[in-house]
Amino acid sequence: MRYIAIRLGLSVVLLIGVTIITFVLTNLVPASPVTAALGERAAGDPKIVAAYKAAQGLDKPLPVQYFVYLGHLLQGNLGTSIGTRNPVTQDLAYAFPATAELAIFAIVIAVVVGLVLALVAALRRNRLSDQLIRAVSVVGISVPTFWLAVAAYFLFFFVLHWVPGSGRLSAIYDAPPRVTGFFTIDALLAGEPDVFADAFAHLVLPGLVLAVYTLGLLVRFARSSILDVLNQDHVRAARAKGLPAHRVITAYLLRGALLPILTIVGLAFGSLLSGAVLTEQVFAWGGIGQYAYRASTSLDLPSIMGVGLIVGLVYITVNFVIDVIYGFVDPRVRVG
Amino acid sequence: MNHLPARLAALTATAAAVALIVSGCSAGGGSTQSSSSKTLVVDNTFDLKTSDPARAFELTGSIVDKALYETALTFEGSDVTKPVPQLTTYTMSDDNKTITLTLNGKHVFSSGNPVTIDDIVWSYKRVQGIAGNPSFLLTNLSTGKPFAIEKTSDTTMTITDTAANPALPFILPNPSLGVLDEKTLEQHGGTTDKTDSAEQYLNGTSAGSGPYELSSYNATSKVVFKLNPKYVGTKPAFGRVVLNNVTGPSQKTDVQGNQAQLALNLNSQQVSGLESGSIKVAKFTSSNLGYLWLNQNASVSGGVTNQPDFVKAVRHAIDYKSLQTIAGTGSTQPGGMVPSQFLGSLASDENNTTDSAAAKSDLQSSGYKGQTITLSYPTDATLDGVSFADMAQSVQSNLESAGVKVKLNGLPIATLLDSFRAGKLQAGLMYWGPDFPDPSDYVTFSPGEGLGLRAGWTKDMSPSVTKAKEAAIAAQGDARASAYEAWQKAANADGAFVPLLQAARYQVTNGVSGNVPNAIWTVDLATVE
Amino acid sequence: MTAVQLPRRRALRVPVAWRRPAAIAGSVVLLAWVLVALLDPLLGLQDPLQQSVGDAFRAPSAAHPFGTDALGRDVLSRTLWGVRSSLPLAVALVAGSLVVGSVLGAVAGYLGGAVDEVIMRIADLVFAFPTIILAMVVAAALGPSLLNAVVALLVVSWPNYARVMRSLVLGARGQEYVVAGRLLGAGPFTSLRRDVLPNVSAPMLVLAMLDFGNQILLLAGLSFLGLGAVPPTPEWGSMVADGVTQFSSWWLATFPGLAIFSVVVAFNLIGDSLRDALDPRTAGAVQGSSI
Repeated sequence: MRYIAIRLGLSVVLLIGVTIITFVLTNLVPASPVTAALGERAAGDPKIVAAYKAAQGLDKPLPVQYFVYLGHLLQGNLGTSIGTRNPVTQDLAYAFPATAELAIFAIVIAVVVGLVLALVAALRRNRLSDQLIRAVSVVGISVPTFWLAVAAYFLFFFVLHWVPGSGRLSAIYDAPPRVTGFFTIDALLAGEPDVFADAFAHLVLPGLVLAVYTLGLLVRFARSSILDVLNQDHVRAARAKGLPAHRVITAYLLRGALLPILTIVGLAFGSLLSGAVLTEQVFAWGGIGQYAYRASTSLDLPSIMGVGLIVGLVYITVNFVIDVIYGFVDPRVRVG
Repeated sequence: MNHLPARLAALTATAAAVALIVSGCSAGGGSTQSSSSKTLVVDNTFDLKTSDPARAFELTGSIVDKALYETALTFEGSDVTKPVPQLTTYTMSDDNKTITLTLNGKHVFSSGNPVTIDDIVWSYKRVQGIAGNPSFLLTNLSTGKPFAIEKTSDTTMTITDTAANPALPFILPNPSLGVLDEKTLEQHGGTTDKTDSAEQYLNGTSAGSGPYELSSYNATSKVVFKLNPKYVGTKPAFGRVVLNNVTGPSQKTDVQGNQAQLALNLNSQQVSGLESGSIKVAKFTSSNLGYLWLNQNASVSGGVTNQPDFVKAVRHAIDYKSLQTIAGTGSTQPGGMVPSQFLGSLASDENNTTDSAAAKSDLQSSGYKGQTITLSYPTDATLDGVSFADMAQSVQSNLESAGVKVKLNGLPIATLLDSFRAGKLQAGLMYWGPDFPDPSDYVTFSPGEGLGLRAGWTKDMSPSVTKAKEAAIAAQGDARASAYEAWQKAANADGAFVPLLQAARYQVTNGVSGNVPNAIWTVDLATVE
Repeated sequence: MTAVQLPRRRALRVPVAWRRPAAIAGSVVLLAWVLVALLDPLLGLQDPLQQSVGDAFRAPSAAHPFGTDALGRDVLSRTLWGVRSSLPLAVALVAGSLVVGSVLGAVAGYLGGAVDEVIMRIADLVFAFPTIILAMVVAAALGPSLLNAVVALLVVSWPNYARVMRSLVLGARGQEYVVAGRLLGAGPFTSLRRDVLPNVSAPMLVLAMLDFGNQILLLAGLSFLGLGAVPPTPEWGSMVADGVTQFSSWWLATFPGLAIFSVVVAFNLIGDSLRDALDPRTAGAVQGSSI
């Protein structure tokens, strides 16, 4: 329990660090959010500039601004976005599930397909199928995500018309009543199969594009972990005794390879959020990635802070969970 | 779209194992219309920030507010040279200082409240008082003094400027001056000063008398409109309109696949070969003007861009035809800073012509000694779909052939604006969209005026331009056009700005008509049928 | 987070690595690109900056095998010149991260205590931030230029090296020969230099090799977002971005995209082979961050 408490404490410190870094970086930018937000005429009027600064709290010294921000943060208030003029929490509540839906779809595909491929490759080591799978894996981690997104969009949408266009839902449909924020799940909950089919169709292409990198990474890791397990004496013995293949796979291989795979899933989740910036930009997905891009190019400080916090939180949570699982499975591992 | 699920199944054969997500994906789902009312889908690349008219000053915001709110005066179709009555009729006083507005029949807000003179007065005072982007519309642009707004009877009101202002009736049709329901808004934090907190409410519920009401609003993805049953004008053909945030390439496929019936942001490259069957392309010239500035401030100019002969050399070195080729057919080179559609525009000017020999001799006499000029431009904005990076590279190559060394400095517009507004950039490319269709909106490109100062062009420089500007502002009636032309000629002969380009714009429709391009609000959604 | 136990003295068996077909293929591709970078001016290509607006958006043909872009420039010559932007900067970036990360990681691992805590918490902080978002903010703060993009990526990429270095040093520090060296009177830095570094340099080099591909992808990604290369310099990421707005001109994005892909694959093939030659079992310890 003490281990968990220490980790939690560290996580809070880490999050505060994230806010400080974002705050300092954004204020280093040689431009002011005022010019970014005000029109040509308004920016020329000192009265309007002053009114705007006061409304945004920008008229106070920087450290004061930071502590005001922290104070609001403790009350769950992330401020108001300069770009969208909505409370940042409201924007994030819309954008985060969008990205999470995409990322979870991608990671489920990557894990399932990746594990199957890795098993095949490991069991048929150095044969043609292994070589092919390893080639696929290298291709997966080498192809530029943004280019793949453009190319896939061009091919499957523009040329073949297999998938619908950008966005999360066709224009004719309204978003399903909001429960989880995942359009697919919300559509099912609301009993709207049309909307589900449409939302799912929109999810497939960006999801697969995003899955490619993670898939490549996972095959590399899982294959070598499984090889390690295969080489252990008791597994060799089990195989030699003629234990059915599926028993060997479930009883020994997957269990043995679980920990390394868990690590990579944690790592991949973070990288998926990053990859989402580029993928979402191409597919106009409207998630955290697109939000982050808009925020950082328009110097929308409250939004950037919000994104930093939520992504940091996800990263820390995922790694925390994985560490705790690690800790339970393998007591030798402790705070590193 | 009907063949989608089957194809998807093939595409995701491996993914299908993921029972959790796939389980609900039945093979059936192919119905394309979820609601019984006729829906119009419009694709637009959003720059939306708010739907509160008194705060909105973006292109998408104008489309939205035009659909939700009525204005005192309006324009008919594309013709922005003649204001016509909407909520009110108008008369101008003889000295052109005062406009009198008289209620024009019965108009009703979506709440059921009638539109009164008090609502108009309150809405205008709110625009002035909350100090938002459009506040300047009801302000004297030279002195910054707000117009006096007064109710004179239950059916009349006046707006008075401190000086003669023939542009008054041209300002009032702006969707930012949409009239709001005072009684409703006051219940939701609406005031006419900085304490106003009605923006949140207005981003969820509209409070106007326009053809549509807000059904749902998301500034980054889509805005949905439904009919305003209380609207007194002609009932729109579509009961539901979806305005979608879609990038150019997707807009093209959307209209091709009839996913959208109207696309607003396609560029010349994207529309080429698009017209076929029910797909129609309407072409027109944008009133947004792309220009080049050369800083006149001695300490910013590097001793180069402030040399009159250097400016002349640049004017002659630029290949304006190339810029038009990049921007597509239908684009034009304006003669001065006033766009070609407006009163007082200049057809052409010999100072702004491509002439490489003249450019070389001017460069020689300017004393240019091979210094590198930094040309700044926005990386995340386009001139009606024409990338500034492309324009900047074209200008760079033109200037280099004339012998001028140029370094490009592309910046996100937020960063660029800050230095530009401080007058710290040596040279660059920017654009100006009309606030209202009158040449008086453009005198800001004069010495000592707002935009002039950004190019380091101070009051004491170019006295001939200042003189011509003052004459233009003072001119009345028919004399205005020639006075504004004379001002632009003076500025072309001795000035910091080179008008480059008005791009071609396109509205692409599939199966609908009635979309009329307008310089102020892009398109009136209610007239589409 | 997880210390990896490493066997002693793992010299890099480079000749073995180069016997693998994957490594040979990767090296050939890479060598070809290096030659292209060096010989660009001699290849008889069209000027990558030469505009011809009338010839914009020409599909691939004999005159322009890769077609032309929005300003009528030859995409083939821009793609081939583009390697001059990507390769040297990627080398600088990886070398920079390797040096900074190794030094910090070694110091943290060797000294332990408060120094270790501070360095590794900062590393955690950077890890907690999505790579490209942090890089985006840094690049926006510094202003777009390829060099600034490199600096931005340096800020986010050193912790990976620091972590691996630290765990390697921790592993090596406990080995008998290092302990013995310390007992015989070697100072901390002498011992670090003499006994520890030789044993960790091989895996660090493999890590760098594996990281190359990622860094090239990230650099191109920043340029794709408009936060890297400045026009008119030909650069692959920004060339792909040009293609995004012009879907009907598929060649704009396709060829520079393939160029990025070929270089990254080459680095990954070489890196993989080196890693396998080093020790196939350490695949888990040595892995780059990702885009």
